[in-house]
Amino acid sequence: MRTSVKSKITAYAVAAVLIIFCLFPIYWMLITSLKTSTEIYKIIPTFWPKKLTFEGYYELFAEKGFLRNVLNSLFVSLVVSFGSIAVSMPAAYAIARIKFRGRKKISKGILISYLMPRTVLFIPLYLLVTRIGLSNSLWGLILVYPTITIPYATWMMISYFQSIPYDIEEAAIIDGCSRVQAMWKVCFPLAKPGIVSTLIFSYTLCWSEYLYALVIINNSDYKTIPLALADMVVGDVYAWGPLMGGSLIASVPVVIIYLISNRNLVGGLTAGGVKG
Amino acid sequence: MKLGNTSSAGYKTKGMEQKERRLAFILIAPAVLYLILVMGLPLLWAVYTSLTDKVIGAAEVNFIGLANYIDIIKDPVFQKALLNTFIFAFFAVLGKVVFGVIMSLTMNQPLRGRGVIRVAMILPWTIPTIVSVFAWQWIYSDVGGALNRILMVLHITDHQIGWLSTTNMAMFSVILVNVWRGTPFIAISVLAGLQNISPDLYEAASLDGANVIQRFLYVTLPSVKNVIILAAFVTTIWTLNDFEIVWLMTRGGPSHATELVSTYSYIQGFMNSDIARSIAASLILVPILVVLVHYVTKSSLSEE
Repeated sequence: MRTSVKSKITAYAVAAVLIIFCLFPIYWMLITSLKTSTEIYKIIPTFWPKKLTFEGYYELFAEKGFLRNVLNSLFVSLVVSFGSIAVSMPAAYAIARIKFRGRKKISKGILISYLMPRTVLFIPLYLLVTRIGLSNSLWGLILVYPTITIPYATWMMISYFQSIPYDIEEAAIIDGCSRVQAMWKVCFPLAKPGIVSTLIFSYTLCWSEYLYALVIINNSDYKTIPLALADMVVGDVYAWGPLMGGSLIASVPVVIIYLISNRNLVGGLTAGGVKG
Repeated sequence: MKLGNTSSAGYKTKGMEQKERRLAFILIAPAVLYLILVMGLPLLWAVYTSLTDKVIGAAEVNFIGLANYIDIIKDPVFQKALLNTFIFAFFAVLGKVVFGVIMSLTMNQPLRGRGVIRVAMILPWTIPTIVSVFAWQWIYSDVGGALNRILMVLHITDHQIGWLSTTNMAMFSVILVNVWRGTPFIAISVLAGLQNISPDLYEAASLDGANVIQRFLYVTLPSVKNVIILAAFVTTIWTLNDFEIVWLMTRGGPSHATELVSTYSYIQGFMNSDIARSIAASLILVPILVVLVHYVTKSSLSEE
Protein backbone atom coordinates (compact mmCIF):
# COMPACT_ATOMS: atom_id res chain seq x y z
CA MET A 1 0.00 0.00 0.00
CA ARG A 2 2.87 2.38 0.70
CA THR A 3 3.93 2.40 -2.91
CA SER A 4 0.44 3.33 -4.04
CA VAL A 5 0.33 6.33 -1.69
CA LYS A 6 3.75 7.34 -2.91
CA SER A 7 2.74 7.04 -6.56
CA LYS A 8 -0.41 9.03 -5.87
CA ILE A 9 1.62 11.87 -4.35
CA THR A 10 3.99 11.76 -7.32
CA ALA A 11 1.05 11.95 -9.71
CA TYR A 12 -0.40 14.99 -7.95
CA ALA A 13 3.01 16.67 -7.86
CA VAL A 14 3.59 16.07 -11.58
CA ALA A 15 0.07 17.29 -12.34
CA ALA A 16 0.67 20.44 -10.30
CA VAL A 17 3.92 21.25 -12.10
CA LEU A 18 2.36 20.67 -15.52
CA ILE A 19 -0.67 22.79 -14.67
CA ILE A 20 1.47 25.69 -13.46
CA PHE A 21 3.51 25.44 -16.66
CA CYS A 22 0.35 25.36 -18.79
CA LEU A 23 -1.61 28.05 -17.00
CA PHE A 24 1.00 30.60 -15.96
CA PRO A 25 1.22 32.35 -19.36
CA ILE A 26 -2.57 32.57 -19.46
CA TYR A 27 -2.70 33.93 -15.91
CA TRP A 28 0.03 36.42 -16.76
CA MET A 29 -1.95 37.58 -19.78
CA LEU A 30 -5.07 38.06 -17.69
CA ILE A 31 -3.47 40.10 -14.92
CA THR A 32 -1.46 42.20 -17.36
CA SER A 33 -4.65 43.16 -19.17
CA LEU A 34 -6.06 44.40 -15.85
CA LYS A 35 -3.02 46.39 -14.68
CA THR A 36 -2.50 50.13 -15.05
CA SER A 37 0.16 50.97 -17.61
CA THR A 38 2.45 52.45 -14.94
CA GLU A 39 2.34 49.11 -13.15
CA ILE A 40 2.98 47.14 -16.37
CA TYR A 41 6.14 49.09 -17.23
CA LYS A 42 7.72 48.80 -13.80
CA ILE A 43 11.15 47.18 -13.87
CA ILE A 44 10.11 44.68 -11.22
CA PRO A 45 6.84 43.02 -12.19
CA THR A 46 4.05 42.41 -9.72
CA PHE A 47 2.42 38.99 -9.64
CA TRP A 48 -0.88 40.37 -8.47
CA PRO A 49 -2.15 43.75 -9.77
CA LYS A 50 -2.07 46.50 -7.14
CA LYS A 51 -5.00 48.24 -8.77
CA LEU A 52 -7.47 46.60 -11.15
CA THR A 53 -8.36 48.67 -14.19
CA PHE A 54 -10.05 48.27 -17.55
CA GLU A 55 -7.77 50.95 -19.04
CA GLY A 56 -6.24 48.46 -21.45
CA TYR A 57 -9.61 47.27 -22.73
CA TYR A 58 -10.81 50.86 -23.08
CA GLU A 59 -7.75 51.69 -25.17
CA LEU A 60 -8.28 48.54 -27.21
CA PHE A 61 -11.84 49.35 -28.24
CA ALA A 62 -11.99 53.16 -28.06
CA GLU A 63 -8.61 54.04 -29.54
CA LYS A 64 -7.53 51.01 -31.54
CA GLY A 65 -10.98 50.17 -32.96
CA PHE A 66 -10.66 46.49 -32.05
CA LEU A 67 -14.39 45.91 -32.60
CA ARG A 68 -13.82 46.29 -36.36
CA ASN A 69 -11.27 43.45 -36.24
CA VAL A 70 -13.54 41.25 -34.15
CA LEU A 71 -16.34 41.73 -36.68
CA ASN A 72 -14.02 40.97 -39.60
CA SER A 73 -12.86 37.74 -37.96
CA LEU A 74 -16.41 36.82 -37.07
CA PHE A 75 -17.64 37.38 -40.62
CA VAL A 76 -14.85 35.44 -42.34
CA SER A 77 -14.95 32.56 -39.84
CA LEU A 78 -18.74 32.19 -40.05
CA VAL A 79 -18.92 32.26 -43.85
CA VAL A 80 -16.00 29.86 -44.27
CA SER A 81 -17.04 27.37 -41.61
CA PHE A 82 -20.65 27.12 -42.82
CA GLY A 83 -19.61 27.09 -46.47
CA SER A 84 -17.01 24.39 -45.89
CA ILE A 85 -19.31 22.10 -43.99
CA ALA A 86 -21.94 22.41 -46.71
CA VAL A 87 -19.40 21.23 -49.27
CA SER A 88 -17.72 18.67 -47.01
CA MET A 89 -20.80 16.81 -45.80
CA PRO A 90 -21.94 15.42 -49.17
CA ALA A 91 -18.34 14.63 -50.14
CA ALA A 92 -17.73 12.78 -46.89
CA TYR A 93 -21.04 10.94 -47.27
CA ALA A 94 -20.09 9.72 -50.74
CA ILE A 95 -16.67 8.53 -49.54
CA ALA A 96 -18.09 6.84 -46.45
CA ARG A 97 -21.12 5.16 -48.03
CA ILE A 98 -20.93 4.76 -51.78
CA LYS A 99 -18.58 2.45 -53.65
CA PHE A 100 -17.06 4.16 -56.64
CA ARG A 101 -13.78 4.06 -58.53
CA GLY A 102 -11.10 6.32 -57.11
CA ARG A 103 -12.67 6.48 -53.67
CA LYS A 104 -9.46 5.53 -51.89
CA LYS A 105 -7.44 7.95 -53.99
CA ILE A 106 -9.78 10.80 -53.19
CA SER A 107 -9.78 10.14 -49.47
CA LYS A 108 -6.00 9.99 -49.55
CA GLY A 109 -5.93 13.26 -51.49
CA ILE A 110 -8.10 14.87 -48.85
CA LEU A 111 -5.82 13.73 -46.06
CA ILE A 112 -2.79 15.00 -47.95
CA SER A 113 -4.39 18.40 -48.45
CA TYR A 114 -5.25 18.43 -44.75
CA LEU A 115 -1.58 17.90 -43.91
CA MET A 116 -0.34 20.37 -46.55
CA PRO A 117 1.57 23.03 -44.63
CA ARG A 118 0.56 26.65 -44.92
CA THR A 119 4.18 27.72 -45.33
CA VAL A 120 4.27 25.83 -48.63
CA LEU A 121 0.92 27.19 -49.79
CA PHE A 122 1.02 30.81 -48.73
CA ILE A 123 2.83 32.18 -51.78
CA PRO A 124 0.80 30.22 -54.35
CA LEU A 125 -2.38 31.41 -52.63
CA TYR A 126 -1.10 34.97 -52.43
CA LEU A 127 -0.40 34.89 -56.17
CA LEU A 128 -3.85 33.44 -56.88
CA VAL A 129 -5.68 36.01 -54.77
CA THR A 130 -3.71 38.92 -56.28
CA ARG A 131 -4.27 37.61 -59.80
CA ILE A 132 -8.04 37.59 -59.42
CA GLY A 133 -8.08 40.94 -57.66
CA LEU A 134 -9.21 39.85 -54.21
CA SER A 135 -6.20 40.99 -52.22
CA ASN A 136 -7.03 43.41 -49.44
CA SER A 137 -10.52 42.08 -49.16
CA LEU A 138 -12.23 39.74 -46.76
CA TRP A 139 -13.41 37.77 -49.81
CA GLY A 140 -9.78 36.92 -50.50
CA LEU A 141 -9.63 35.21 -47.10
CA ILE A 142 -12.98 33.57 -47.71
CA LEU A 143 -11.62 32.15 -50.97
CA VAL A 144 -8.48 30.60 -49.44
CA TYR A 145 -9.48 29.56 -45.91
CA PRO A 146 -11.46 26.56 -47.15
CA THR A 147 -8.12 25.06 -48.21
CA ILE A 148 -7.73 24.57 -44.45
CA THR A 149 -11.30 23.79 -43.46
CA ILE A 150 -12.65 21.62 -46.32
CA PRO A 151 -9.99 18.89 -45.98
CA TYR A 152 -10.33 19.02 -42.20
CA ALA A 153 -14.13 18.91 -42.18
CA THR A 154 -14.35 16.21 -44.85
CA TRP A 155 -11.83 14.04 -43.07
CA MET A 156 -13.71 14.38 -39.78
CA MET A 157 -17.12 13.75 -41.32
CA ILE A 158 -15.96 10.56 -43.08
CA SER A 159 -15.17 8.95 -39.73
CA TYR A 160 -18.38 10.28 -38.15
CA PHE A 161 -20.53 8.84 -40.93
CA GLN A 162 -18.70 5.53 -40.70
CA SER A 163 -19.36 5.34 -36.98
CA ILE A 164 -23.11 5.42 -37.70
CA PRO A 165 -24.57 1.97 -38.39
CA TYR A 166 -25.47 1.58 -42.04
CA ASP A 167 -28.52 -0.65 -41.42
CA ILE A 168 -30.88 2.25 -40.77
CA GLU A 169 -30.15 3.89 -44.10
CA GLU A 170 -30.29 0.54 -45.86
CA ALA A 171 -33.73 -0.09 -44.38
CA ALA A 172 -34.87 3.35 -45.50
CA ILE A 173 -33.64 2.66 -49.04
CA ILE A 174 -35.39 -0.72 -49.16
CA ASP A 175 -38.55 1.07 -47.96
CA GLY A 176 -38.37 3.25 -51.06
CA CYS A 177 -36.24 6.18 -50.01
CA SER A 178 -33.83 7.44 -52.65
CA ARG A 179 -30.16 7.55 -51.77
CA VAL A 180 -30.27 11.34 -51.44
CA GLN A 181 -33.26 11.14 -49.11
CA ALA A 182 -31.51 8.51 -47.01
CA MET A 183 -28.50 10.76 -46.73
CA TRP A 184 -30.48 13.89 -45.94
CA LYS A 185 -33.19 12.46 -43.70
CA VAL A 186 -31.43 9.56 -41.99
CA CYS A 187 -27.65 9.94 -41.98
CA PHE A 188 -27.22 13.70 -41.51
CA PRO A 189 -29.63 13.97 -38.55
CA LEU A 190 -27.89 11.04 -36.86
CA ALA A 191 -24.50 12.67 -37.38
CA LYS A 192 -25.64 15.99 -35.95
CA PRO A 193 -23.28 16.08 -32.92
CA GLY A 194 -20.34 15.34 -35.19
CA ILE A 195 -21.45 17.95 -37.70
CA VAL A 196 -21.77 20.60 -35.00
CA SER A 197 -18.36 19.95 -33.50
CA THR A 198 -16.70 19.87 -36.93
CA LEU A 199 -18.39 23.17 -37.71
CA ILE A 200 -17.12 24.89 -34.59
CA PHE A 201 -13.61 23.56 -34.97
CA SER A 202 -13.56 24.81 -38.55
CA TYR A 203 -14.62 28.13 -37.10
CA THR A 204 -11.70 28.19 -34.67
CA LEU A 205 -9.23 27.32 -37.45
CA CYS A 206 -10.26 30.48 -39.34
CA TRP A 207 -10.48 32.57 -36.19
CA SER A 208 -6.82 31.85 -35.30
CA GLU A 209 -5.31 32.00 -38.79
CA TYR A 210 -2.43 34.47 -39.21
CA LEU A 211 -0.10 33.72 -42.15
CA TYR A 212 -2.63 33.89 -45.02
CA ALA A 213 -4.21 37.00 -43.54
CA LEU A 214 -0.75 38.55 -43.23
CA VAL A 215 0.01 38.21 -46.94
CA ILE A 216 -3.49 38.94 -48.24
CA ILE A 217 -4.69 41.86 -46.09
CA ASN A 218 -2.87 45.19 -45.82
CA ASN A 219 -5.71 47.64 -45.36
CA SER A 220 -6.46 48.17 -41.67
CA ASP A 221 -10.21 48.20 -42.37
CA TYR A 222 -10.09 44.52 -43.24
CA LYS A 223 -7.64 43.25 -40.67
CA THR A 224 -8.67 40.22 -38.64
CA ILE A 225 -7.92 39.79 -34.94
CA PRO A 226 -4.48 38.13 -35.33
CA LEU A 227 -3.32 40.93 -37.65
CA ALA A 228 -4.65 43.62 -35.31
CA LEU A 229 -2.79 42.04 -32.39
CA ALA A 230 0.45 41.90 -34.38
CA ASP A 231 -0.04 45.58 -35.28
CA MET A 232 0.04 46.55 -31.62
CA VAL A 233 3.76 45.93 -31.76
CA VAL A 234 5.44 48.94 -33.35
CA GLY A 235 9.15 48.38 -33.67
CA ASP A 236 10.33 47.65 -30.15
CA VAL A 237 7.32 49.26 -28.49
CA TYR A 238 4.74 46.85 -27.17
CA ALA A 239 1.35 48.07 -25.94
CA TRP A 240 1.22 45.21 -23.44
CA GLY A 241 -2.03 46.21 -21.73
CA PRO A 242 -4.28 46.31 -24.83
CA LEU A 243 -2.25 43.52 -26.45
CA MET A 244 -2.92 41.13 -23.57
CA GLY A 245 -6.56 42.24 -23.40
CA GLY A 246 -7.01 41.63 -27.12
CA SER A 247 -5.25 38.27 -26.84
CA LEU A 248 -7.62 37.25 -24.11
CA ILE A 249 -10.63 38.29 -26.16
CA ALA A 250 -9.25 36.29 -29.10
CA SER A 251 -8.92 33.21 -26.87
CA VAL A 252 -12.24 33.30 -25.04
CA PRO A 253 -14.54 32.01 -27.81
CA VAL A 254 -12.10 29.28 -28.79
CA VAL A 255 -11.62 28.12 -25.22
CA ILE A 256 -15.38 28.06 -24.60
CA ILE A 257 -15.85 25.93 -27.70
CA TYR A 258 -13.22 23.46 -26.52
CA LEU A 259 -14.78 23.29 -23.09
CA ILE A 260 -18.22 22.54 -24.51
CA SER A 261 -17.18 19.90 -27.01
CA ASN A 262 -14.55 18.19 -24.98
CA ARG A 263 -14.39 15.07 -27.10
CA ASN A 264 -12.69 14.62 -30.45
CA LEU A 265 -10.18 17.30 -29.67
CA VAL A 266 -7.44 16.11 -31.91
CA GLY A 267 -9.40 15.90 -35.10
CA GLY A 268 -9.13 12.15 -35.61
CA LEU A 269 -5.67 12.48 -37.14
CA THR A 270 -4.05 9.99 -34.85
CA ALA A 271 -7.07 7.76 -34.27
CA GLY A 272 -5.64 5.24 -36.75
CA GLY A 273 -2.66 4.70 -34.49
CA VAL A 274 -4.72 3.87 -31.43
CA LYS A 275 -5.81 0.43 -32.55
CA GLY A 276 -2.61 -0.82 -34.13
CA MET B 1 -10.09 4.70 -40.98
CA LYS B 2 -12.21 2.04 -42.57
CA LEU B 3 -13.57 2.19 -46.02
CA GLY B 4 -15.90 -0.76 -45.68
CA ASN B 5 -19.51 -0.52 -44.67
CA THR B 6 -20.99 -0.01 -48.10
CA SER B 7 -22.87 -3.24 -48.41
CA SER B 8 -23.57 -4.26 -51.97
CA ALA B 9 -26.74 -6.08 -51.06
CA GLY B 10 -28.56 -8.18 -53.58
CA TYR B 11 -31.43 -5.73 -53.98
CA LYS B 12 -29.33 -3.44 -56.11
CA THR B 13 -29.47 -3.79 -59.85
CA LYS B 14 -26.74 -2.85 -62.29
CA GLY B 15 -28.57 0.33 -63.25
CA MET B 16 -28.90 1.36 -59.63
CA GLU B 17 -25.21 0.91 -59.04
CA GLN B 18 -24.40 3.08 -62.00
CA LYS B 19 -26.80 5.72 -60.70
CA GLU B 20 -25.14 5.54 -57.30
CA ARG B 21 -21.74 6.07 -58.84
CA ARG B 22 -22.96 9.10 -60.75
CA LEU B 23 -24.46 10.45 -57.52
CA ALA B 24 -21.17 9.92 -55.70
CA PHE B 25 -19.38 12.05 -58.27
CA ILE B 26 -21.96 14.81 -57.93
CA LEU B 27 -21.60 14.75 -54.15
CA ILE B 28 -17.83 14.94 -54.10
CA ALA B 29 -17.48 17.30 -57.08
CA PRO B 30 -17.70 20.67 -55.23
CA ALA B 31 -15.08 19.73 -52.63
CA VAL B 32 -12.72 18.09 -55.11
CA LEU B 33 -13.08 20.84 -57.72
CA TYR B 34 -12.39 23.48 -55.09
CA LEU B 35 -9.29 21.71 -53.85
CA ILE B 36 -7.99 21.21 -57.39
CA LEU B 37 -8.64 24.81 -58.44
CA VAL B 38 -7.59 26.67 -55.29
CA MET B 39 -4.95 24.30 -53.94
CA GLY B 40 -3.67 21.98 -56.66
CA LEU B 41 -3.31 24.33 -59.61
CA PRO B 42 -1.78 27.25 -57.66
CA LEU B 43 0.70 24.79 -56.21
CA LEU B 44 1.67 23.50 -59.66
CA TRP B 45 1.91 27.03 -60.94
CA ALA B 46 4.14 27.88 -57.99
CA VAL B 47 6.43 24.96 -58.78
CA TYR B 48 6.73 26.31 -62.32
CA THR B 49 7.35 29.84 -61.01
CA SER B 50 10.20 28.58 -58.85
CA LEU B 51 11.94 27.60 -62.10
CA THR B 52 11.73 31.17 -63.44
CA ASP B 53 13.22 34.54 -62.49
CA LYS B 54 9.90 36.11 -61.50
CA VAL B 55 9.98 39.04 -59.07
CA ILE B 56 6.97 41.01 -57.86
CA GLY B 57 6.06 43.70 -60.38
CA ALA B 58 8.32 42.51 -63.21
CA ALA B 59 6.65 42.02 -66.58
CA GLU B 60 9.16 39.69 -68.16
CA VAL B 61 9.58 36.22 -66.77
CA ASN B 62 12.21 33.81 -68.06
CA PHE B 63 12.62 30.11 -67.49
CA ILE B 64 15.90 29.56 -65.69
CA GLY B 65 15.66 25.94 -64.58
CA LEU B 66 17.03 25.06 -61.19
CA ALA B 67 19.04 28.29 -60.83
CA ASN B 68 16.92 29.54 -57.92
CA TYR B 69 17.39 26.33 -56.01
CA ILE B 70 21.15 26.37 -56.62
CA ASP B 71 21.38 30.02 -55.56
CA ILE B 72 19.51 29.33 -52.37
CA ILE B 73 21.54 26.29 -51.44
CA LYS B 74 24.69 28.38 -51.89
CA ASP B 75 23.31 31.18 -49.70
CA PRO B 76 24.92 30.92 -46.22
CA VAL B 77 21.81 32.42 -44.64
CA PHE B 78 19.67 29.69 -46.16
CA GLN B 79 22.12 27.00 -45.03
CA LYS B 80 21.82 28.39 -41.54
CA ALA B 81 18.02 28.51 -41.85
CA LEU B 82 17.93 24.89 -42.99
CA LEU B 83 20.13 23.74 -40.12
CA ASN B 84 18.08 25.83 -37.67
CA THR B 85 14.86 24.31 -38.99
CA PHE B 86 16.15 20.81 -38.25
CA ILE B 87 17.42 21.84 -34.81
CA PHE B 88 14.14 23.59 -34.03
CA ALA B 89 12.03 20.66 -35.23
CA PHE B 90 14.16 17.99 -33.58
CA PHE B 91 14.25 19.53 -30.12
CA ALA B 92 10.68 20.81 -30.25
CA VAL B 93 9.29 17.42 -31.28
CA LEU B 94 11.47 15.63 -28.73
CA GLY B 95 10.27 18.00 -26.01
CA LYS B 96 6.64 17.66 -27.03
CA VAL B 97 6.80 13.86 -27.13
CA VAL B 98 8.51 13.56 -23.72
CA PHE B 99 6.25 16.07 -22.00
CA GLY B 100 3.23 14.86 -23.95
CA VAL B 101 3.68 11.28 -22.74
CA ILE B 102 4.17 12.47 -19.15
CA MET B 103 1.10 14.68 -19.49
CA SER B 104 -1.02 11.86 -20.90
CA LEU B 105 0.02 9.53 -18.06
CA THR B 106 -0.98 12.23 -15.58
CA MET B 107 -4.29 12.81 -17.36
CA ASN B 108 -4.99 9.09 -17.16
CA GLN B 109 -4.46 8.86 -13.38
CA PRO B 110 -7.63 8.63 -11.27
CA LEU B 111 -6.86 11.94 -9.55
CA ARG B 112 -9.45 14.11 -7.89
CA GLY B 113 -10.62 16.84 -10.25
CA ARG B 114 -9.42 14.91 -13.30
CA GLY B 115 -11.79 16.76 -15.63
CA VAL B 116 -10.48 20.14 -14.52
CA ILE B 117 -6.88 18.93 -14.71
CA ARG B 118 -7.38 17.77 -18.30
CA VAL B 119 -9.00 21.03 -19.36
CA ALA B 120 -6.21 23.08 -17.76
CA MET B 121 -3.58 21.03 -19.56
CA ILE B 122 -5.29 21.30 -22.93
CA LEU B 123 -5.66 25.11 -22.79
CA PRO B 124 -2.28 25.95 -24.42
CA TRP B 125 -3.32 23.95 -27.48
CA THR B 126 -6.68 25.68 -27.79
CA ILE B 127 -5.71 29.34 -27.74
CA PRO B 128 -4.63 30.92 -31.05
CA THR B 129 -0.89 30.59 -31.77
CA ILE B 130 -0.48 34.33 -32.03
CA VAL B 131 -1.88 34.72 -28.52
CA SER B 132 0.57 32.23 -27.03
CA VAL B 133 3.39 34.01 -28.85
CA PHE B 134 2.57 37.38 -27.30
CA ALA B 135 1.96 35.94 -23.85
CA TRP B 136 5.41 34.34 -23.92
CA GLN B 137 7.08 37.35 -25.45
CA TRP B 138 5.83 39.35 -22.50
CA ILE B 139 7.06 36.71 -20.07
CA TYR B 140 10.51 36.77 -21.73
CA SER B 141 10.64 40.59 -21.77
CA ASP B 142 13.87 42.24 -20.57
CA VAL B 143 11.87 44.95 -18.83
CA GLY B 144 9.10 43.81 -16.52
CA GLY B 145 9.30 40.22 -17.75
CA ALA B 146 8.04 37.52 -15.42
CA LEU B 147 10.56 34.78 -16.20
CA ASN B 148 13.70 36.72 -15.24
CA ARG B 149 11.93 37.89 -12.10
CA ILE B 150 10.93 34.36 -11.08
CA LEU B 151 14.42 33.00 -11.70
CA MET B 152 15.96 35.86 -9.69
CA VAL B 153 13.56 35.42 -6.78
CA LEU B 154 14.41 31.72 -6.74
CA HIS B 155 18.14 32.63 -6.93
CA ILE B 156 18.63 30.56 -10.06
CA THR B 157 20.20 33.52 -11.81
CA ASP B 158 21.48 36.86 -10.55
CA HIS B 159 21.24 38.83 -13.79
CA GLN B 160 18.63 39.50 -16.47
CA ILE B 161 18.76 36.89 -19.23
CA GLY B 162 18.08 38.17 -22.75
CA TRP B 163 15.79 35.30 -23.68
CA LEU B 164 15.04 36.53 -27.17
CA SER B 165 17.77 39.10 -27.68
CA THR B 166 20.88 36.94 -27.34
CA THR B 167 21.98 34.49 -30.00
CA ASN B 168 22.58 31.62 -27.62
CA MET B 169 19.21 31.82 -25.84
CA ALA B 170 16.83 32.80 -28.67
CA MET B 171 16.56 29.32 -30.19
CA PHE B 172 15.88 27.75 -26.81
CA SER B 173 13.19 30.35 -26.11
CA VAL B 174 11.26 29.85 -29.34
CA ILE B 175 11.47 26.06 -28.96
CA LEU B 176 10.04 26.35 -25.45
CA VAL B 177 7.01 28.24 -26.79
CA ASN B 178 6.47 25.61 -29.47
CA VAL B 179 6.72 22.85 -26.85
CA TRP B 180 4.31 24.68 -24.53
CA ARG B 181 1.79 24.97 -27.35
CA GLY B 182 2.16 21.54 -28.93
CA THR B 183 2.49 19.23 -25.93
CA PRO B 184 -1.28 18.85 -25.33
CA PHE B 185 -1.75 17.49 -28.87
CA ILE B 186 0.60 14.58 -28.15
CA ALA B 187 -0.95 14.13 -24.72
CA ILE B 188 -4.52 13.87 -26.01
CA SER B 189 -3.48 11.50 -28.81
CA VAL B 190 -1.59 9.22 -26.42
CA LEU B 191 -4.37 9.43 -23.83
CA ALA B 192 -6.74 7.82 -26.32
CA GLY B 193 -4.27 4.95 -26.60
CA LEU B 194 -3.81 4.66 -22.83
CA GLN B 195 -7.54 4.37 -22.33
CA ASN B 196 -7.51 1.35 -24.63
CA ILE B 197 -5.08 -0.66 -22.50
CA SER B 198 -6.80 -3.38 -20.56
CA PRO B 199 -6.32 -3.11 -16.75
CA ASP B 200 -5.76 -6.89 -16.72
CA LEU B 201 -2.37 -6.34 -18.32
CA TYR B 202 -1.24 -4.16 -15.42
CA GLU B 203 -2.64 -6.60 -12.89
CA ALA B 204 -0.79 -9.48 -14.49
CA ALA B 205 2.41 -7.42 -14.55
CA SER B 206 1.96 -6.48 -10.88
CA LEU B 207 1.47 -10.12 -9.93
CA ASP B 208 4.69 -10.93 -11.73
CA GLY B 209 6.37 -8.38 -9.46
CA ALA B 210 6.89 -5.61 -12.03
CA ASN B 211 7.51 -2.19 -10.50
CA VAL B 212 6.13 1.12 -11.81
CA ILE B 213 8.98 1.68 -14.26
CA GLN B 214 8.87 -1.89 -15.54
CA ARG B 215 5.10 -1.67 -15.99
CA PHE B 216 5.60 1.52 -17.99
CA LEU B 217 8.35 0.02 -20.15
CA TYR B 218 6.79 -3.41 -20.77
CA VAL B 219 3.04 -2.72 -20.70
CA THR B 220 2.30 0.95 -21.32
CA LEU B 221 4.94 1.86 -23.86
CA PRO B 222 4.44 -1.06 -26.28
CA SER B 223 0.67 -0.45 -26.24
CA VAL B 224 0.90 3.21 -27.17
CA LYS B 225 4.03 3.01 -29.31
CA ASN B 226 2.15 3.33 -32.60
CA VAL B 227 0.03 6.27 -31.56
CA ILE B 228 3.11 8.06 -30.19
CA ILE B 229 4.94 7.57 -33.48
CA LEU B 230 1.95 8.74 -35.52
CA ALA B 231 1.40 11.80 -33.34
CA ALA B 232 5.12 12.58 -33.48
CA PHE B 233 5.06 12.41 -37.29
CA VAL B 234 2.04 14.70 -37.54
CA THR B 235 3.71 17.10 -35.12
CA THR B 236 6.95 16.98 -37.11
CA ILE B 237 5.07 18.06 -40.24
CA TRP B 238 3.64 21.03 -38.36
CA THR B 239 6.87 21.91 -36.57
CA LEU B 240 9.03 21.85 -39.71
CA ASN B 241 6.64 24.45 -41.08
CA ASP B 242 6.28 26.65 -38.05
CA PHE B 243 6.31 30.31 -38.99
CA GLU B 244 4.30 32.34 -36.54
CA ILE B 245 6.25 31.72 -33.35
CA VAL B 246 9.63 32.64 -34.79
CA TRP B 247 8.42 35.41 -37.08
CA LEU B 248 6.52 37.22 -34.35
CA MET B 249 9.08 36.73 -31.61
CA THR B 250 12.44 37.28 -33.27
CA ARG B 251 11.91 37.86 -37.03
CA GLY B 252 14.54 35.12 -37.39
CA GLY B 253 17.12 37.08 -35.43
CA PRO B 254 19.25 38.01 -33.64
CA SER B 255 21.68 37.74 -36.57
CA HIS B 256 19.78 34.77 -38.07
CA ALA B 257 20.11 32.72 -34.88
CA THR B 258 16.48 31.61 -35.20
CA GLU B 259 16.11 31.94 -38.98
CA LEU B 260 13.99 29.07 -40.28
CA VAL B 261 13.24 27.99 -43.84
CA SER B 262 9.74 29.44 -43.43
CA THR B 263 10.92 32.87 -42.26
CA TYR B 264 13.64 32.89 -44.92
CA SER B 265 11.02 32.15 -47.55
CA TYR B 266 8.73 34.89 -46.24
CA ILE B 267 11.56 37.45 -46.24
CA GLN B 268 12.58 36.53 -49.81
CA GLY B 269 9.03 36.89 -51.06
CA PHE B 270 7.62 39.80 -49.12
CA MET B 271 10.63 41.88 -48.10
CA ASN B 272 12.83 41.32 -51.17
CA SER B 273 9.95 40.79 -53.65
CA ASP B 274 11.78 37.75 -55.00
CA ILE B 275 8.79 35.47 -55.43
CA ALA B 276 10.58 32.74 -57.37
CA ARG B 277 13.31 32.30 -54.78
CA SER B 278 10.76 32.46 -52.04
CA ILE B 279 8.79 29.57 -53.51
CA ALA B 280 11.95 27.60 -54.19
CA ALA B 281 12.89 27.95 -50.52
CA SER B 282 9.46 26.86 -49.34
CA LEU B 283 9.53 23.81 -51.62
CA ILE B 284 12.92 22.55 -50.50
CA LEU B 285 11.48 20.74 -47.48
CA VAL B 286 8.76 19.09 -49.57
CA PRO B 287 10.65 15.80 -50.12
CA ILE B 288 10.89 15.32 -46.36
CA LEU B 289 7.23 16.26 -45.97
CA VAL B 290 6.22 13.77 -48.66
CA VAL B 291 7.85 10.95 -46.70
CA LEU B 292 6.15 12.03 -43.46
CA VAL B 293 2.76 12.58 -45.10
CA HIS B 294 3.01 9.23 -46.84
CA TYR B 295 3.59 7.50 -43.52
CA VAL B 296 0.73 9.34 -41.84
CA THR B 297 -1.75 8.63 -44.63
CA LYS B 298 -0.68 5.00 -44.73
CA SER B 299 -1.24 4.43 -41.04
CA SER B 300 -4.41 6.52 -40.91
CA LEU B 301 -6.00 4.79 -43.89
CA SER B 302 -5.10 1.17 -43.17
CA GLU B 303 -6.64 0.38 -39.88
CA GLU B 304 -8.28 -2.93 -40.44
